[in-house]
Amino acid sequence: MDATTYGWLILAFPLAGSMVIALGWRALPGRAAGWIGTGAIGLAFLCAIGALVQILDHPVEDRQLTNSLYDYASAGGLDIQMNVLVDPLSVFMCLVVTGVSTLIHLYSISYMTSDDGFRRFFSYLNFFVFSMLLLLLAGNLILLIVGWAFVGFASYALISFWFRRGTATGAGMKAFVINVVGDVGLVIAALFIFRELGTFDLLQIFERAPEEFTTNEGVAVAIGCLLLVGAAAKSAQVPLHTWLPDAMEGPTPVSALIHAATMVTAGVYLIGRFHPVFEIALTAADIAAFIGLATLLIAATIALVVTDLKRIIAYSTMSQIGYMVMGVGIGAYSAAFFHLMTHAFFKALLFMAAGSIIGAMANRQNIDLMGGFRRAMPFTVATLLIGCLALAAFPGTSGFFSKDEILAFAEHRGGFYWVFAIGGYIGALLTAFYAFRIGFRVAYGDPVPEAREVEAGHISHAEPENPATGEREDTDIGFPGPEHHIAEREWPMKIAMSVLAFGALFAGLVQVPGVDAVIEHFLEGSFEDSTLYNDLPSNAAEWRGLGVGSIISLLGIGFAAVLYLQRPGTTKRLAERFAGIHKFLENKWYFDEAIDFLIVRPALGFGRWANSVFERYVVNGLVVGTVGAAKGANAAVRVAQSGYLRGYALLLVLGFCGLALYFLIAGS
Amino acid sequence: MLWLPLAAGLLACLVPRRFAGWAAALGAFLALDLAIRLVTDFDSGSAGIQHAVDESWIPELGVRYQLGVDGISLFLVLLTTVAWFAAILWSAIRTPERPKTYFFLLGLAETATLGAFLAQDLLLFVLFFDLMLIPFYFLFGSWGSEHPGREGEGPVRPAPATIKMIVYTLVGSLLMLVGAIAAGVIAGDGTPVFSMAELREGLLSEGSQHWIFWFFAAAFLVKMPAFLVHGWMPDAYRVAPLPVLAVFSAVLSKVGAYGFLRVVLPIFPEATVDFQEIVLVIALASILYGSVMAFTQTSARLVAGYSSVAQLGFITLGIFALRPDGADGAVIQMVNHGIVIVPLMLIIVLLAERSGGDDVTKMGGIAMRAPVMAALFLVVTMALLAIPGSANFVGEFYILNGVFQEKIVFALIAALGVIMASYYALRLFQHAMHNRKPEGVESRELGWREGAIIGGLVACIVALAFYPQVVLKRSDESVNEQLSSFEQPSEPTAAVTEGPGK
Amino acid sequence: MDITWYLVLSALIFAVGVAGVLLRRSPLVILLCLELMLNAGNLALLAFARSLGNEEGQVFALIVMVVAACEVVVGLGLIVAAYRRRIPLNVDELRSLRG
Repeated sequence: MDATTYGWLILAFPLAGSMVIALGWRALPGRAAGWIGTGAIGLAFLCAIGALVQILDHPVEDRQLTNSLYDYASAGGLDIQMNVLVDPLSVFMCLVVTGVSTLIHLYSISYMTSDDGFRRFFSYLNFFVFSMLLLLLAGNLILLIVGWAFVGFASYALISFWFRRGTATGAGMKAFVINVVGDVGLVIAALFIFRELGTFDLLQIFERAPEEFTTNEGVAVAIGCLLLVGAAAKSAQVPLHTWLPDAMEGPTPVSALIHAATMVTAGVYLIGRFHPVFEIALTAADIAAFIGLATLLIAATIALVVTDLKRIIAYSTMSQIGYMVMGVGIGAYSAAFFHLMTHAFFKALLFMAAGSIIGAMANRQNIDLMGGFRRAMPFTVATLLIGCLALAAFPGTSGFFSKDEILAFAEHRGGFYWVFAIGGYIGALLTAFYAFRIGFRVAYGDPVPEAREVEAGHISHAEPENPATGEREDTDIGFPGPEHHIAEREWPMKIAMSVLAFGALFAGLVQVPGVDAVIEHFLEGSFEDSTLYNDLPSNAAEWRGLGVGSIISLLGIGFAAVLYLQRPGTTKRLAERFAGIHKFLENKWYFDEAIDFLIVRPALGFGRWANSVFERYVVNGLVVGTVGAAKGANAAVRVAQSGYLRGYALLLVLGFCGLALYFLIAGS
Repeated sequence: MLWLPLAAGLLACLVPRRFAGWAAALGAFLALDLAIRLVTDFDSGSAGIQHAVDESWIPELGVRYQLGVDGISLFLVLLTTVAWFAAILWSAIRTPERPKTYFFLLGLAETATLGAFLAQDLLLFVLFFDLMLIPFYFLFGSWGSEHPGREGEGPVRPAPATIKMIVYTLVGSLLMLVGAIAAGVIAGDGTPVFSMAELREGLLSEGSQHWIFWFFAAAFLVKMPAFLVHGWMPDAYRVAPLPVLAVFSAVLSKVGAYGFLRVVLPIFPEATVDFQEIVLVIALASILYGSVMAFTQTSARLVAGYSSVAQLGFITLGIFALRPDGADGAVIQMVNHGIVIVPLMLIIVLLAERSGGDDVTKMGGIAMRAPVMAALFLVVTMALLAIPGSANFVGEFYILNGVFQEKIVFALIAALGVIMASYYALRLFQHAMHNRKPEGVESRELGWREGAIIGGLVACIVALAFYPQVVLKRSDESVNEQLSSFEQPSEPTAAVTEGPGK
Repeated sequence: MDITWYLVLSALIFAVGVAGVLLRRSPLVILLCLELMLNAGNLALLAFARSLGNEEGQVFALIVMVVAACEVVVGLGLIVAAYRRRIPLNVDELRSLRG
């Protein structure tokens, strides 16, 4: 089979899975929906491997294949096809997405068993994967936007999955609206591109862009910035990031899938995909890099103080995506995508472990209440620590190789790009610290009552509460209630977590400087037209970077060990000492408040004003004025309407007489 | 096909009460069947009028009985028949009071609307345009129900609201009648000319185009309704019986937009160019104002109503971009909006039954025991907010593209409307279906017959989403024809070779 | 043949009818006077038809008579209905149409 056929199949399986589950929800017994969903994604993964094999048969310079199924919308000078683009980049992304998604589906089968919305969950989840793959494989900009928006929709549906929780539905709405802002950015970018280049087809855009634009031309930069709006909204970059922490209201597998491994990396993919544009619009690329840098630092600082376990991981996601955006911004494409892959492994792993612990804590997520799970849940804690090690870029783990490659590239590019390297290393220090803030607080210390209960073989039976508001949950819609399963006890979960743990530890070995460069070689087919792609730092420079990285990582872990293992309680004193900063960070730099104040309130205020004042006085005034005029005319006429029959008759006769007279006079 | 629904309506008057609805439904179904055949037989390669009927009617005045379809009216005809079929079926399930008259009026309304879409003679068009009002006047007035209205003001009663609507639209229609007669008399030397095909030959001088343009524009803008002349809309929407409102909102508002495309653009080309920006501003104001109002309303009906104002703003924007892509988008958007608003209104019926009113702030949690209804509603919501991937997005994108290539600023501002749409549509959905269930709200699944009607419409939405080309392909040629009097700016392909960026 | 006399007669009858319609209060009498007016018209029609030798005028007169018969039926029906419901048979009191 052709590689593009595989491309269509990759899309078809998740969509079919979603539809089968959605339409047959009544007929599916027990966990069948979960297995169908997992199977569909698994098949898509196999197809992605098939596409990989096919594409490797082609010579390097001929690895961008397209195939069109039918005319999607072609009229009035526009030509939009239903087509896919299969090239190394999309195949690579598909492999990561379908691979990790399969494992997360597997995990969810156990995790979501006791939830009433089990089938709905898998239908959404499959649809999400379909949308993500559509985004990746789209052969033209419009289809890409379609996938882009479907992903936003699926994430909305999954975030507000527990739809009776007010916080969850609010978070879903926020995510959706911010994503739509991104969509509109992309749409306007598409309009610009069409105006300048006359096409929506991706390959044609890339072909024509260098011919049409001069370096840093205004229009090109505008296009770049608009694409960035889309990328920032989807990848939760400053200032459009506020939806991501709130999105943790969704079930934990959702957080793992959408908000760690796949969806949020779409922005990175977009920038990487549009590298021919960004290499012309250098200013836009630099802006991207700065946004990435700002995000990685801001998110890392917030992650230091947040106490909600899932939100810490969410902020660390933002921070890591910041690295990737910075990477593609400065042109370190292969490094950024390498980091994307390793991040998908270790972040999904972290979320799975966190889900397992939250299950044991009866849905409570505050790390202040956790501790000492080391003996109670050895498997979960082991995987959690592996995830933390990779996140902290401990020497030898996957995160170590990928993150430091980005920073080494920044150093290598020279000029003002050293800012990114320095910022990146500061971020790395913070990352290592907060990673082990999680690791040490959860695993070590005195076991909390829940941990003791689990150790004794019970499951904690607390009344479920909303972790954000402390409100009692509405259990009849099916939260994982008192009968909730604890992660380690079920084999599907264990398999999923072990595979990811393996990836988190060893995936870095595919690209060790001076030893091998699998990803770099593979992606070359997509980036052959890039000027920056082959301008790589020397092995020596990379190893130097790795050295600095490992020192920083160990330093951060050391700090965390001192603060949380040796002298617990120091942190509290620090927080009191620097109360101002602590409050600032705890309130997440006041981004939510700023957006609320600057955008939401004026819009709502205007709406209310329009409703109460404008509508009432101006629009209705128009009516009242007309009615007044009509009434005046009416009063003049009604005098004649006496109601006396003879009056009417007389008028009639007089009228006739008048007419007769007129004709007589006129005729004579 | 034109007279079929009316005949069925008459039949509904004659048969016993219990079967009145089904008789009308049969008529609507036959009309739908004919419309589908029309679509399949349609020759998408040609721009001209197909299936034409041309009889002399009032020869002294040059009025001819001319009917026919082209690519623009084709899908509007289909939309009309689909919407009416759904509404009549829906009404047949839950029989209204005085069913005979009710179904007769609905049948009459369908005939009048189809007539307006099919008419190729200006006076005939005006005639059907006004005829549409009559049945809706009675339907709104007699079958409408009192609505609590805005807070702090008294309830809205059907009779005054209906009169308000009629006065507004009648003023527009009469102006249009005057305009039509004036156009015919001025154009025809001696004997008036009312055939649209002949009027298109550019018989009118620019001066007379200017004032006749506004006579027509007034009628169409009121009908849509556009910003500042939408005063009749809130009250009428509050009181109208919902199945009737569904067809009203889905189809009648389109007649206005259709009128622009069919009558105004080809017959008054110079005036159109001169007034393009004014109309664009009105359209833009409609988009923004409609969107803002939609997200402060608490009544589900009015959210739908103001969203229509915004959507019709988009459609007008597309038409007055005066480019084929914009107008293509407008045509497909008319179809999309119609096919979305009907199920939305029907769902509002269901919501009102479950919560005892249409105030969204008093609803909640309905999705709990009604997953099918929630799923259908979700699809409708997504289509309403024009998520990329729905045909509505294709329409909006074409419109924005058309405007963008002409006037960048307008497109950028219009894009704000897209963002706001996502907010108000989702807000409607969430308030109704999600969160905790307040006291007095019942979460109950819809019946299978209701499900079949809404499900059928949703299936149409999904099908269009996968293959919008089915509409675009057929409308493209006709749209080009309508716009042929405008000089086209350089083609996109030309832009590539010349490249404004160099 | 001179038709003047016919026309004069017709005009006289018509004037009587008009006076009756305008002055009387009973709807029954008003209806009778209307008949007078119609028949005055008929007379004029017939006179002209005869003098011009054109049969169409006679046809018209026939039609007018049919119409008059219908009108009387409806009018009398209304009057009888009003009488049965004890509505006063006085046109000056039946003025609910007043604007």
